[in-house]
Amino acid sequence: MSQATATTAQEQNLWGGGRSPFNVSYGKMMMWFFLLSDALTFGALLIAYGTTRFSSAVWPDANKVFKSFPFLEGHNLPLLFVSLMTFILIMSSVTMVLAVHAGHYGDKKSVATWLLWTIIGGAAFLGCQAWEWTHLAGECGGLWGTFTNVNTPVHEFQQFYNTDSKEVMNIFATQPLVAMQSTHSFFNYFFTITGFHGGHVTSGVIFNILMLINTVNGTYERRGHYEMVEKVGLYWHFVDLVWVFVFTCFYLL
Amino acid sequence: MSSHHNTDSIQHLYEGDQSKLYSGVMSHHSDIESTESKTQIKKIWKVFWILLAITLVEVFIGMQLSHSVPKPVLAFVYLSLTLVKAGFIVAIFMHLGDEKKNFMTVVLIPLVLFVWFIIAFLADGGFWLHMNSTSPTRDHGIEHVAQ
Repeated sequence: MSQATATTAQEQNLWGGGRSPFNVSYGKMMMWFFLLSDALTFGALLIAYGTTRFSSAVWPDANKVFKSFPFLEGHNLPLLFVSLMTFILIMSSVTMVLAVHAGHYGDKKSVATWLLWTIIGGAAFLGCQAWEWTHLAGECGGLWGTFTNVNTPVHEFQQFYNTDSKEVMNIFATQPLVAMQSTHSFFNYFFTITGFHGGHVTSGVIFNILMLINTVNGTYERRGHYEMVEKVGLYWHFVDLVWVFVFTCFYLL
Repeated sequence: MSSHHNTDSIQHLYEGDQSKLYSGVMSHHSDIESTESKTQIKKIWKVFWILLAITLVEVFIGMQLSHSVPKPVLAFVYLSLTLVKAGFIVAIFMHLGDEKKNFMTVVLIPLVLFVWFIIAFLADGGFWLHMNSTSPTRDHGIEHVAQ
């Protein structure tokens, strides 16, 4: 009984004002809630992709679509380039968490150094994505809205499919329009979802540049803490997190 | 002198005063060369190697086994590995593992929606395909256009 009373008193104290019940600052909590809503948005996009895929009789094969590498065009190198992109993004996540870590210790110089590496990593990722988009736009004849003409011959899109599969060849022979529609949907989803992700990376790089400027100018040192770096860090890790799912859905499954 | 006073008053407009409301789990440290700090950095790099290793395994499966292993097995393996990677990123890189239990719950519970979301929509997509490939009108329509 006395224990129950003690718990109630503690609870009242916890939610009674004067301190944060969750032990996090307002800004950090709101960043978490924003990321939660952003996760639902990305989730909706990826689930829409999955739904279309489940409702299609054939679907492009990732090993056939993503098989090129800059300066090595013509070679069959499936998944190699996207592995590099994934590595760059994971690496930039590590440099970001090291910047946040340095911020906890008020180490201005380390924060600036690691933020700079994170910015370089983000820019490198965007460069890779720009190359991949350009390459695929060349293969498709555009970004969105390609493969809409009902007279498109099968040989214009069959390089994106696993032509060793009897099932695929059967659809090509009997229902070429179904295969064309799948190609159309695949690329529309691909450019929409990786574009939305790339937009997040872009804004993340801009935020990181702002963090770097403020750090170098000593804004956070005067403020007494590097919480802004921590909040932008949350955003940056979320972008990496989304990429983990985009990578699985588009390049692996 | 007056500029110093200015900085102080501006600080209150930011989060400066808020820090008294919580004791950030990771804040209020001083020496980045301390053992505590070094343990933390070691942990970060360990997670990096784990993430890299999982990604390499995924890419290996994608390159070598994607056409020989049954699709459902492949999907199960990929999604499990993806969730492990996501768990490490959220728990260690985003420090959610260091937050209070009730805050973790508040952030993670809404994501349970995805369980319904994924099952319902994928099942619907699958049924749509089934419906279209068994419906006589649809077959007729495609033959007609193909001709």
